[in-house]
Amino acid sequence: MKLELLADLLFGATAAVYLTASALFIAFLLGRGERAVRWGPRLIAAGVPLHAAQICVWSLVLHVCPVEGVHFSLSVASMLVCLLYVLARTRLRVDVVGAFVAPQALAFLLASRFVGPVDSAPRLQSALLPFHVVANLLGLALFTLAFAAAVAYLMQERRLKQKRLEGVFERLPAIDALDRAEHRFLVAGFPLLTIGILTGTIWARQVEAGGAAEIARAALSYASWALIGGVLLLRAAAGWRGRRAAYGTILGFGLTVLVMIFYLARSMMGAGA
Amino acid sequence: MILVVGLSHRTAPVDVRERLTAGADALPVVLARLAARSELEEVLFLSTCNRVEVMAVAARGRVEPALRAIHEELARHGGVAHEGELAPYLYDRRGDEAVTHVFRVAASLESMVLGEPQILGQVKDAYEAAVAAGALKGTLRRCLHTAFAVAKRVRSETAIGVGTVSISSVAVDLARRIFGDLSKHAVLLLGAGEMAEAAARSLGKGARAVRICNRSFERAAALAGEMHASAAPWDQLEQELVQADVVVASTASRAPVVTREMVKRAMKARKGRTLFFVDIAVPRNVEPAVHGIDNVYVFNVDDLEQEVARGLKARHSEVEAAEKIVAEGVTEFLAWTRGLEVQPTVVAMRTKARAVLLAELERSLAGRLKHLPETDRAALTQMVESAVGKLLHAPTTKLKARAADGDDAAELAAAVRFLFDLQEIAAAGDKARDEGRTGGAGDGDDDDRLPN
Repeated sequence: MKLELLADLLFGATAAVYLTASALFIAFLLGRGERAVRWGPRLIAAGVPLHAAQICVWSLVLHVCPVEGVHFSLSVASMLVCLLYVLARTRLRVDVVGAFVAPQALAFLLASRFVGPVDSAPRLQSALLPFHVVANLLGLALFTLAFAAAVAYLMQERRLKQKRLEGVFERLPAIDALDRAEHRFLVAGFPLLTIGILTGTIWARQVEAGGAAEIARAALSYASWALIGGVLLLRAAAGWRGRRAAYGTILGFGLTVLVMIFYLARSMMGAGA
Repeated sequence: MILVVGLSHRTAPVDVRERLTAGADALPVVLARLAARSELEEVLFLSTCNRVEVMAVAARGRVEPALRAIHEELARHGGVAHEGELAPYLYDRRGDEAVTHVFRVAASLESMVLGEPQILGQVKDAYEAAVAAGALKGTLRRCLHTAFAVAKRVRSETAIGVGTVSISSVAVDLARRIFGDLSKHAVLLLGAGEMAEAAARSLGKGARAVRICNRSFERAAALAGEMHASAAPWDQLEQELVQADVVVASTASRAPVVTREMVKRAMKARKGRTLFFVDIAVPRNVEPAVHGIDNVYVFNVDDLEQEVARGLKARHSEVEAAEKIVAEGVTEFLAWTRGLEVQPTVVAMRTKARAVLLAELERSLAGRLKHLPETDRAALTQMVESAVGKLLHAPTTKLKARAADGDDAAELAAAVRFLFDLQEIAAAGDKARDEGRTGGAGDGDDDDRLPN
């Protein structure tokens, strides 16, 4: 009972921190709160340990490993996104990417608690499962950051081409820094995605999962892997940078999100059965 | 009367301005054509990236024909079939307005980049070209001299040039917004003129490397030596585009030196790395279509205007202080011109008084005083000269003071002419004052000619 209360308190505190950070970033993008926005990255940094603690306490309450079940995975993924953002923001000079990170962390945190029943009893256990889930979650977190950088890049690129240099343009990072950050997040996420897909394929064979939905999910996973691999390859070989790379990243991220939606749907149907 | 006809970044886009700019080769030609027009007493042709202006003094009583003559010559210079094509872009200033405009231009208050220092040098170059062509006499020469003094005061007494949003600093700012840190990026300067030098000073501080590519390799090497940069041969321009990240183009070429095809090939070799062009040349050095290439951004002088406008807001108080200095300069110059306008009356008055007294003295010396020795005669002549000076000192200074204040000097001068019966001698000079003060819209009997 006490643990449940603690989990709820941590959940509330994490949500409040992410909500405040989101509000600060949005206000900044709208041209207000020039000074307050400095607190945005700090709040996200403060939210990460709170979020991690919330995940641990809640997993103790439910007796579920944090890498099991889609709801937990959503929460862990969003926490990892925030952690990676905190680690990378200064080095890559993409502070404002927090404007994407904070709202998604809040959304995933809330979704992990309120969207559908918790699938706390995975049916298909395997020794590969933790590797598969951790690799996928980290990969997803990195692709989320790459996606955020790509969206910001496209906004900047559009404004530069139109020569509209006021407003949001001034508040977003340098366009080259965004392109570089997007590329580095992709480079870091791609091996994790590869591990996730390999372990997922082996795991699926072990448990002989072969339904139509599973095949579609696997096909989407391979497509996202091929697409992101293609984006990286074309960048290195043919100089596909900037806008083309950003569109490729967004599409690749979209496919990985679709895979997550498959997981979520399967989890909810499984729990409902 | 002083006239200014021209166009600037405020009235004409760069594709119109670039048709009228005059490089070192074309300037003497257009200046000679303007100087040959009988409607113009004096003329100066100013051509910068953002401005093409003819400053002139209209021949006596020919203000409107003078304006028409300037319009015709500008159309001819720009290769425009019909001068009406240029009309929407051209502005005319006359009289006091023209003087104020000249001072504001020299003080960089009319510049796209407020407070930028290059314009004063450009006006001085135009002045020297006009002097060399024998196109300047008294009024415009004095006007320009006062303009230079005003511009110097503006720079030294206000902070308008401090932290100036110069073209170079705008280029640096834009480069930072594109690349973030410039320390890992290379800058290429196309051209080795004054603008390139300013860009090298601003961009060179933070950039990984600065290369200077100029048609004259010697000039590039000389500038590179001063700027801790390196020079590149002009025929290696395309290879240089592969290495550079920021390209500042400021050559005097009449045709683009950087083409779309050239940049496309360079981008292929660069594997799509971002390339940023700052084209501050007029006519433009970089084909506008280059901006359409992925990961390539081209900003020309017009594109910088928005950035500059923000700099303008930040230095509003400095602008006010500069405007005051300009106003003082205009007052001083107009006082000088008005003082000169009553000068014929003053001279005539003194001449007549002296002549009358000397004639009387001569008559006496030939009659009753013929016994006087030569030394006494000389003393009497000296006494007459002195008496004329002392007697007319007060009316002379008061008339000039009234003229300087722009008050009722015309009426006073007319009264002096009437009282001393000087009408025929001094009328022309005094009458011009009124037209100068009111702007002289009509073809009056104006006369802005001053002694050399």
